[in-house]
Amino acid sequence: MLIGVSIIVFALIQFVPGDPVRLALGTRFSQETYDALLERSGLDQPVLQQYFTWSGRALTGDLGVSFRSGEPVTALILERLPATLTLALAAILVALLIAVPLGTLSALRPRSLVDRGATVLSQIGISVPDFWMGIVFILVFAGTLGWLPSGGYVPLTEDPWGWLQRLIMPAIVTGVVSGSVITRFVRSSVLEALGQDHVRTAQAKGLPARQVLSWHVLRNALLPLVTVTGVQLAYLLSGVVVVEIVFAWPGLGQLALQAVQARDYPVLQGAVLLFALVFLLVNLVVDLLYSRLDPRIARR
Amino acid sequence: MTVTAPLLEVEDLHVRLRTPRGTASVVNGLSYTVGAGETVAVVGESGSGKSVSVLALLGLLPAGVATVTGRALLDGEDLLAMPADRLRQLRGPGVGMVFQDPMTSLNPVLTVGRQLVEGIRAHVDVPKAVARRRAVELLGEVGLPGPEKAVDRYPHELSGGMRQRVMIAIALSNSPALLIADEATTALDVTVQAQIIDLVQRLQADHGTGVVWITHDLGVVAGIADRVLVMYGGRCVEDGTVDDVLERPAHPYTRGLLGALPDLAVARADGGLPDLATVPGTPPAPTDLPAGCVFWPRCPVRADPRCETEQPPLAHVRGQSRDFGPSLAHRAATWCAEDGGAPGTTEEDR
Amino acid sequence: MTTPADPGPGRTVPSTQPAPQTVTDRPPGAGSDTAAGTLRPARPRWRETLGLLARNPTALIAALVVLGMIVVALLDEQLAPEGPNEIDVGARLQPPSPDHPFGTDDLGRDVFSRVILGAAVSLRVGLIAVSISLVVGTLIGLLAGFYGKWVDDVLMRLMDMLFAFPAVLLAISIVAILGPGLTNTTIAIGIVYIPIFARVTRSSVLGVREEVYVRAARSVGSSDVRLLARHVLPNAAPPIIVQTSVSLAFAVLSEAALSFLGLGTQPPDPSWGLMLSEGRGYIELAWWIAVFPGLAIFLLVLSFNLLGDGLRDVLDPRQRTAMSGGRQ
Repeated sequence: MLIGVSIIVFALIQFVPGDPVRLALGTRFSQETYDALLERSGLDQPVLQQYFTWSGRALTGDLGVSFRSGEPVTALILERLPATLTLALAAILVALLIAVPLGTLSALRPRSLVDRGATVLSQIGISVPDFWMGIVFILVFAGTLGWLPSGGYVPLTEDPWGWLQRLIMPAIVTGVVSGSVITRFVRSSVLEALGQDHVRTAQAKGLPARQVLSWHVLRNALLPLVTVTGVQLAYLLSGVVVVEIVFAWPGLGQLALQAVQARDYPVLQGAVLLFALVFLLVNLVVDLLYSRLDPRIARR
Repeated sequence: MTVTAPLLEVEDLHVRLRTPRGTASVVNGLSYTVGAGETVAVVGESGSGKSVSVLALLGLLPAGVATVTGRALLDGEDLLAMPADRLRQLRGPGVGMVFQDPMTSLNPVLTVGRQLVEGIRAHVDVPKAVARRRAVELLGEVGLPGPEKAVDRYPHELSGGMRQRVMIAIALSNSPALLIADEATTALDVTVQAQIIDLVQRLQADHGTGVVWITHDLGVVAGIADRVLVMYGGRCVEDGTVDDVLERPAHPYTRGLLGALPDLAVARADGGLPDLATVPGTPPAPTDLPAGCVFWPRCPVRADPRCETEQPPLAHVRGQSRDFGPSLAHRAATWCAEDGGAPGTTEEDR
Repeated sequence: MTTPADPGPGRTVPSTQPAPQTVTDRPPGAGSDTAAGTLRPARPRWRETLGLLARNPTALIAALVVLGMIVVALLDEQLAPEGPNEIDVGARLQPPSPDHPFGTDDLGRDVFSRVILGAAVSLRVGLIAVSISLVVGTLIGLLAGFYGKWVDDVLMRLMDMLFAFPAVLLAISIVAILGPGLTNTTIAIGIVYIPIFARVTRSSVLGVREEVYVRAARSVGSSDVRLLARHVLPNAAPPIIVQTSVSLAFAVLSEAALSFLGLGTQPPDPSWGLMLSEGRGYIELAWWIAVFPGLAIFLLVLSFNLLGDGLRDVLDPRQRTAMSGGRQ
């Protein structure tokens, strides 16, 4: 899997029509700069050798240097990574905070006002373009109301309040989309769990309603949620890329877009690879977590 | 069986369910009693309303869908009229329940011990350790080998028979006055079935529990019941002692089941009692019950003009009208009991 | 990583059911006939399907909106009161008025006209991109599901790899290689949605593959191509149709996103995403420049989604809960 992903990332640069180094440098450059870059990027070598050199270096954490600034790509990425991870985590939190209560409530009262409202809201949440929602949010909360700064980022360690203020809007915008999808899932999952025989057993034991709900309905219904959240991360990271740009959030998405605009292929490669790594890693963790939580799998 | 107030007294129970195809009258005026230490078997085909009738007693039917009316006195308290919290208190210590499918009736992600312990602690305020010791005892009592270990097992690690023993342990964990077994042995194979029945009978003898045993297997009925109640189309069509009903059936439906009406049912080749599925045709849809006798559409007798138009009342079977008191009476709801109901007739016919 | 139940990291499919449910999924048309012992495959019944869909008011309205948008896109020049690029510096940043229902932008262009003309761009990109993913993805899924074994392994693993990249980022990267522009954006979006179609088709084919009529056709020596085209594909189609509608929603969304990022439609052509990004700078001065194109995107995407839901209810009731959405 990892090898395949690395091949795709590596192949990116191979498909660039023409000479990527020349393209990156633009029109004014000296022959020495060109030669140095070409040699550093290894693009003058045969393809297969290039791949092994590149992946070998990548394994040791060396992703080459930026065509533009000459800085090591790894350093550029590490600088941006915390911001992206912060946003992604906050967005997942927002998504779950929306989805679990809303989905559960609508499942407990199917066809009620709450249920219908949640269905409409989730449909809207799925269909609304996140970047547009971001702009509207900026207009309303930063412009008209003036409650929050319109974007940017300050590290948590320097200014916790400013950090939170700047995190709220992007996190909500990113989280609402995934939250809407997960709401639908929670609803159907809880609905299914409610109809299960063992829930009736729990009621027949005389357990208080709250205990039936928490241990016999939710515990079982939310197990698959772990997996779904992992899968949703793929979509969520996509949203992160766009939202970062709307809110001037200095993360990997912004870095990737800047790299595209500057034809800085090594940086783009690095950013893309890292996104894929995050996705694979999270899904690995999700699988491990799931097998810890579900005894039927754990003891298999 | 002394003449005291019965443990459970169900009177004129009606259950209606809202379905996409209209309102279904699933239980229509069911009345019966269960005494302490007594076993009443409720038999009927699937769709006869037998499971719904007991789920309704404990308020286990989906609230928005089911309408339950009538009375159900457990030790003099009406289960159908009490507040939800009182009913919850009685689930467990008042009435224990064992469900049909042991594969799905236990929560797959909690250990057996946990599921027992939470049931105990919902009614008695004891420390976890004490409840756990009680759980181990209970598992031993229902014959689970190695109860100290089994208590930490998950349901999927146990066989079907073992899981049903766990279900029984859960149902008995608060020493209920009444045990309701809803098709408790149907999903199990024959040898396990016999073990479970033995187990319940032994526990019943030890604790004096009243038992309502719901089944469609007449073989089980013969083995376990004191009295039998035959349900059809949401009504009680015949009830009486196990001897009366199985040997001197009065209602054409019951007679059909028992092979007493040759054109209706085929006795099992091995000579044992048949399953209920042997009567040809299907039970009436609860959304569209016949105006007269519920069995009329499938009935080969139809000896009375009232069969089609008028509902027969549940009446004492003629020829045995000696009064034994309510618990021993033999009653049937049919216009055609005369020729089949008399003792001995069925013997001669064979 | 050969079975659908495999919990390997790459196999976490967007179908939200953790169980190996794919194997039992069957299009509704297939079940009843085989139960009755007939060997004839059940074809999707179009008339009936449309009838059922018409009884679902939400889906009906959604279908009408989509149709309306298509009409608008086809009539674009006739409908738009002004040319998309008619610059009127005297009428810059005008708020909505009877003359300019959606106001004017920073160059004095009529936002209403540009929104109308943007419909054609969105729909064209959406339709072409989804056609690419539909054809390629369905073919891959068909082959993987029908032949199984190593074909399945190789193809689906390839799909899993593509799936590991965030869709927008993958599209960005593809555009970065091919260069910005409408055509390349369309191709990029088309490539990004191939894995979804491959997965949906594969799981649907797995359900159909062992049906009696397929085995019967195989036993009388039908060629593989004939078997796939006449028996497997028609019966595996319902989930694919549903996925097509949902994917159209996301293709429109992706085009808008890429144009918003400056990688799709290039100025001065009117595209909703591009208009949003142009209006962004004036958001506090002239909210209408960004808000109306956004609403248009939202409306079209919502309609495709609702239509997809309606189709799912009619064609594939068992899949109702296992919604994949496929928001990418």
